[in-house]
Amino acid sequence: MTRSFLFTLLLIAAVAATVTAGTIDGKVSSGKSVVYVDTIQGKTFPAPSQQPVMDQKGLMFNPHIMVVQVGTTVEFLNSDSVQHNVFWPSISGNKKLTHNLGTWPKGEKKAFKFDNPGVVSLLCNVHPEMAGYIIVSPTPYFAETDASGNYKIENVPDGKYNVVAWHEGMKQQSKSVDVAGTGKADFTLSK
Amino acid sequence: MQRHTVRTVRESLLLLALAATVLSASKSFAIPAFSRMYGTSCSTCHIDFPKLNDFGKAFKDAGFKFPKDDESMIKIPPVMLGAPANSELWPKAIWPGVIPGIPPIGLRYNNYFQYTGTSSSKFNQLLPPGTAPPFIPTTDFQTGFFSIFTAGNFGSDIAFWVDDDISVSGANANGGLGEAYLKFVDIGRLMKLPSYALSLRVGQVELDIPFTQSKSIWISPYDIYTQANVGAVNAAFPLQQFVNNSFTFAGSGKGIELSGGHSTGGYHYSIAFIDQNTSGASQGSNNNYVPTATGSNFGGVGVASDSNFKDIYTNFQYRFNLERDKESRNAIQAAGPTGPRDHTYLNVGSYWLYGRSVQRLSGATPDGLPTVITAREPFYRVGGNMTFNYRCCLQFNALYMYGHDYNLLPIDANGFLVSLPVSGTPPPVGFIHSRPATFSGGFADVEWLAYPWMMVLLRYDGVNSTSDYVNGLVPGGFTGSPFNGAASATRNRITPGVQFLIHANIKASFEYQFRPSQSVVIGTNPITGFPVAMNPFHTNTAVAGLEFVY
Repeated sequence: MTRSFLFTLLLIAAVAATVTAGTIDGKVSSGKSVVYVDTIQGKTFPAPSQQPVMDQKGLMFNPHIMVVQVGTTVEFLNSDSVQHNVFWPSISGNKKLTHNLGTWPKGEKKAFKFDNPGVVSLLCNVHPEMAGYIIVSPTPYFAETDASGNYKIENVPDGKYNVVAWHEGMKQQSKSVDVAGTGKADFTLSK
Repeated sequence: MQRHTVRTVRESLLLLALAATVLSASKSFAIPAFSRMYGTSCSTCHIDFPKLNDFGKAFKDAGFKFPKDDESMIKIPPVMLGAPANSELWPKAIWPGVIPGIPPIGLRYNNYFQYTGTSSSKFNQLLPPGTAPPFIPTTDFQTGFFSIFTAGNFGSDIAFWVDDDISVSGANANGGLGEAYLKFVDIGRLMKLPSYALSLRVGQVELDIPFTQSKSIWISPYDIYTQANVGAVNAAFPLQQFVNNSFTFAGSGKGIELSGGHSTGGYHYSIAFIDQNTSGASQGSNNNYVPTATGSNFGGVGVASDSNFKDIYTNFQYRFNLERDKESRNAIQAAGPTGPRDHTYLNVGSYWLYGRSVQRLSGATPDGLPTVITAREPFYRVGGNMTFNYRCCLQFNALYMYGHDYNLLPIDANGFLVSLPVSGTPPPVGFIHSRPATFSGGFADVEWLAYPWMMVLLRYDGVNSTSDYVNGLVPGGFTGSPFNGAASATRNRITPGVQFLIHANIKASFEYQFRPSQSVVIGTNPITGFPVAMNPFHTNTAVAGLEFVY
């Protein structure tokens, strides 16, 4: 009886340890950035049902940077009185993933499901000064930093991960992080 | 000594003509101030600046602002010149108004490199052996324009534009005002006319010609736009004309212009009344009795007109946007599958200008008393134009013009013709109508935007002027003809070109000009007995230009 009770306790403890929601925090030297946990071998995640909106307003993409989990459908809205176009020449440099969503007038939306992780550089071929970014994270573990570069990724199971930091105009950087309740990774990005 | 003078004049004119080819043309402008104000690229309004795309045309039509929701697009808010609530005091008035939040100033500089065909050395044949020949450089660097321009909107749909060449060819003294005007956009609404049926432009303007010269993407000017009408005065020919009309469409006019419609679809018209000045000279400012516009009896600027008459110019265009989808057809730009683009369209139009060319002579009354006699010769220019634009990238343009100047020949007291040029003996006492001085011509071009950063061009220019031909057949000299010893009355020029946008505001342009043949050896046709050009040759030129705006 006592033996079985102890075994049960050990089992509960072991299970609990595997599902512990840990955090990864740290700081990115470049300020406002995106940090995410890179692909975890053998792990897949259900696509979120939420459809974030990338707006085009005042000849700007709004938000300028958006981070989503792979499989997310993003809606592209035109709130300007001029026609806008949305296209991206590649995803993380892979030109085969280029796509042109076309053109649409004020008030209309177009949706696109991002099935490939990477950095999507949004452009408008009518207004070449317009630029936006969608960071497609391969995992649901991602965060945007604050203006000072501080970030905190929550609900990360304990384990060893590659954590990637991205900042506009900088070379992205990845670091291996051990999460045991918490993990920490600071990044110093360079151009 | 006389030969030396002739040579000097000849050299100067030749170099002037070559330089004019490069410099007189490319008064082109884009407005970086708008880029700053709206935080947007030049390409929002331009294809290969300064050529406007459809959105740029709509922006200009609206008085240099976005056709819709302009306030929400401006990144640098304008400065209010009065609280909006003030408009409750005078609801029908147009104040309080605004000024742009930053001085909307743009600057532009360009320079050129020109290669001239070695056939230009044939001009040496004008000179006797042992005489230093005129030097026409095969290669030559030339500075172009350094220009300042400003434009914007003062609110209440009142727009403004001023551009001025601070220096031309490196000489500040050669600069000059291009356009300077206020435009009252859509004043027809005050009379409950349809939207954009009537606007008013006041100031110094480029006439609303079908294809702009001052904002052309071509380095070289359209030959027909620079065609003045100088009557035949070569004594070797029986044809004599007393016509000296320096009006060209390349110049600006001072006056007012009424216009309406849109440049992006449907009708567009304009009617302008501008100062008459066919003599090309401003009048003196030292009039003791009549104040000038900027001063009292003395000082200030001289008046621009050389007569009371105002030239009348009209232009009517109609543009058919050819998209099948009605919504897209009526939009400012068509919604292409990969992005907004200019409409596929056909534009046809016609234009007409009427004026009176004034020439004054020291003459005599029939009684022999000294007097000044004045010839007021009606003249007109009329023509048509068309443009076919295919989607974003291919455009065909053509324009035809016919010029006609009434020809009044001076006569003496006995009714005999006075020899031209008028020497004063015998004194002219009046005029009789003779054969009009006419010319015709035009151009056709194709502009292909091969890439968003590369424009390929090809143009044909043709001008037919018998009087230019006759005037040029003078051994060893120029007599006012744009071409010396032209081989025929029709001057043809073919100009291929290519332009690259290094940045949205930096452009490299190349043109090769297959120019009309001309000659310095003038012989006599044994059959007609009239002078004829011998051994004609071409002074073809290759021109490279670099320009930037900021």
